[in-house]
Amino acid sequence: MFDPYILQQLAIGVSLGMIYALMAIGFTLIFGVLNVVNFAHGEVYTIGAFAGLMAITAFAPPLLVVLFIALAAGAFAGFGLERLAFRPFRRFSDEASLKSRAMREATLMSSLAMSIIAREAMELIFGSQFQSIDLAYLINKPIEIGPITIVNGDLIILAITLIMLGGLQWLLKKSPIGMSIRAVSNNALGAKYCGINTDRTIIFTFIIGSGMGALAGILVGLYYGAIFPAMGFTPGIKAFVAMVMGGLSSIPGAVVSAMILGLAESISTSFMPSVWSDMVAYAFLLATLIFFPQGLFGARRERV
Amino acid sequence: MTTILELDSLTRVFGGLRAVDDVSTKVSEGELFGLIGPNGAGKTTLFNLISGFTPPSSGDVRFKGESITGLPVHKIAHRGMSRTFQNLRVFPNMTVFDNISVGALGMIGVSPFSALWGGRAKAREISERSWEMLEKVGLKEHADDLAANLSYGKRKYLEIARALAMKPDLLILDEPAAGMNDSETAELAQFITDLNKTGLTIMLVEHDMGLVMGICQRLVVLASGRKIADDVPAKVRQDPAVLEAYLGGDD
Repeated sequence: MFDPYILQQLAIGVSLGMIYALMAIGFTLIFGVLNVVNFAHGEVYTIGAFAGLMAITAFAPPLLVVLFIALAAGAFAGFGLERLAFRPFRRFSDEASLKSRAMREATLMSSLAMSIIAREAMELIFGSQFQSIDLAYLINKPIEIGPITIVNGDLIILAITLIMLGGLQWLLKKSPIGMSIRAVSNNALGAKYCGINTDRTIIFTFIIGSGMGALAGILVGLYYGAIFPAMGFTPGIKAFVAMVMGGLSSIPGAVVSAMILGLAESISTSFMPSVWSDMVAYAFLLATLIFFPQGLFGARRERV
Repeated sequence: MTTILELDSLTRVFGGLRAVDDVSTKVSEGELFGLIGPNGAGKTTLFNLISGFTPPSSGDVRFKGESITGLPVHKIAHRGMSRTFQNLRVFPNMTVFDNISVGALGMIGVSPFSALWGGRAKAREISERSWEMLEKVGLKEHADDLAANLSYGKRKYLEIARALAMKPDLLILDEPAAGMNDSETAELAQFITDLNKTGLTIMLVEHDMGLVMGICQRLVVLASGRKIADDVPAKVRQDPAVLEAYLGGDD
C-alpha cells in the first residue's frame, strides 16, 4: 500500500488545491468578462480573513456565520473594487477607446494600486504580524482515519469548496445573471445588443468572484492559524498560475489546474525542503507558458 | 400606417468628417425597408446611431413615438429593437440553445432582484420561446452543439433566431447576405420575406444591391453620409444620383 505519509500529504494537497481553486475562479470569472487580470484579488482574500477574524473577536459567532461574514465582506470589497479601479476606465465608450489596449490595461495599474492601498491600510490598522485567533475556531483538530491523520479543516474545506463549485455551476448554467456572465465573456457587444446590462453583469462577476476569494482567505486563516496583512500575496500568485494553466478563461481548466498545483506542492515537500515548495508553482507557470501557451486544456474548453 | 422609427436630421461628425450628414426618414410599421450605399457611405455609422452604440452629434432618433437618443444600447434593445451583425457576434462557447436563451432573457427582462433566480414561470417562458425560435430557423437538432461548431451559414441563422427571441418590433439585419452564395442568398431572401409577412418591421443594411432590390418595399440610399434617394426600388434603380454613387454600375 501507499506510504501513510504520502497519503497524508495528498490530503493536505487536496485542501490546498481546493483553496487555490476557490481563488482561481474569481480571477477567471473576472478575466472572462473584462479580459484583464485583477491584481487586487489577493487582498480580497486577506480582507475575507480579517473580516472573519473581527467577527470572531467581536461576538464569537458560530463558524458558519464567520464564513458567511467573510463571504459578504469579500462581496462588498469586490463591489467597491470594481467601482473604484475598473469602472472609471470604462466610461469612455467611443470606438477608439474601446479598441485601445492601453485603456483596458490601465486597470492592471489601478487594481495593483488598490491592492497596495488595501494591504498598507491593513498593516497600519492591525500591524504586520500574525493576529491572535481564538483557538476554538481553528480548524486543525486531528481526525484519525486508519493510518493517516487529517484535520477537520480538510473536511470543512472540501465540503465548502464542493458546495461553492456546485453552486457556481448552477448559477452559470441556470440563473439569468449566470447566463449574462457567460454571454458577456463570450462576446460583450453581442450581449449588450441582447439587452444585457454589461455594467451590472461585471459588478455581479466581481461580487461572486470576490466572495469566493474571501471565503478562501478565512478558511486558510483558520486552517493554519495565520492571519496577517500580506497573507494574500502567495495564494494570489498560485491562483494566477492556475488560471494561466487552465487557459485564462476556463473555469473547469482553472479548477483542475489548481488541484494539480495543490497536490504537486504538498507532495514535493516529501523530497525537498518545504521552503522550496513555492518553486513548484513557478515551474508549472514557466512550463505552461513555454509548452502550452493556450493553457493545458487548450482553447477548446468551454469558457466560463 | 403608424411610424415605428423616425430619424430627424441625424448628424455625426468625427473630427472634420461628417460621417452621417443630416439624414431624416421614417419607417412605417410592418415595412421591409433597406438602407444601402457604397462602401464608406456611412451605413455603419447611421446604424450605430440608430441602435445607440454611438451618440449623434445632433438630431434625434424616435422609436415607437419616443426619443431614444442617448439611451444605452441594452435599454434600446429592451424597447424592442434588435439586430444582427455583419461579422457575427454569437456566443461561440455556449450551446446553440443557450445562445437563443440569452436573447429570450432580454425579451423577458430580469430585474436586479430576480437576477439570481427569475422564477419558474419565467424560466419556462424563456425555454419555450427558445425552442420556438430554434424550430423557426431549423436548428433544433443542433440545440446542444456549441455555437462555434456550427457552419457559417447556420451561425447566421442562429444570430437571427437570437435576435427574434427578444420579440422585437424592429429587426435590423446588418449585411445578412455577406459571404453567402446565390442559392443561400435566395433562401435567406425567402426567409426574410416570410418574417416580414408575419408583421415584423425589418430594416436591411446592405452593401450589395442584389438582395435589397428584390425584396425591399422601400430603399434609402446613402452616399458620403448624405441621403441621396428614398423611394421604391424600381425608382431608386433609375435615379441618376444613385447610379453615379455606384460609379455608373448597377452593381
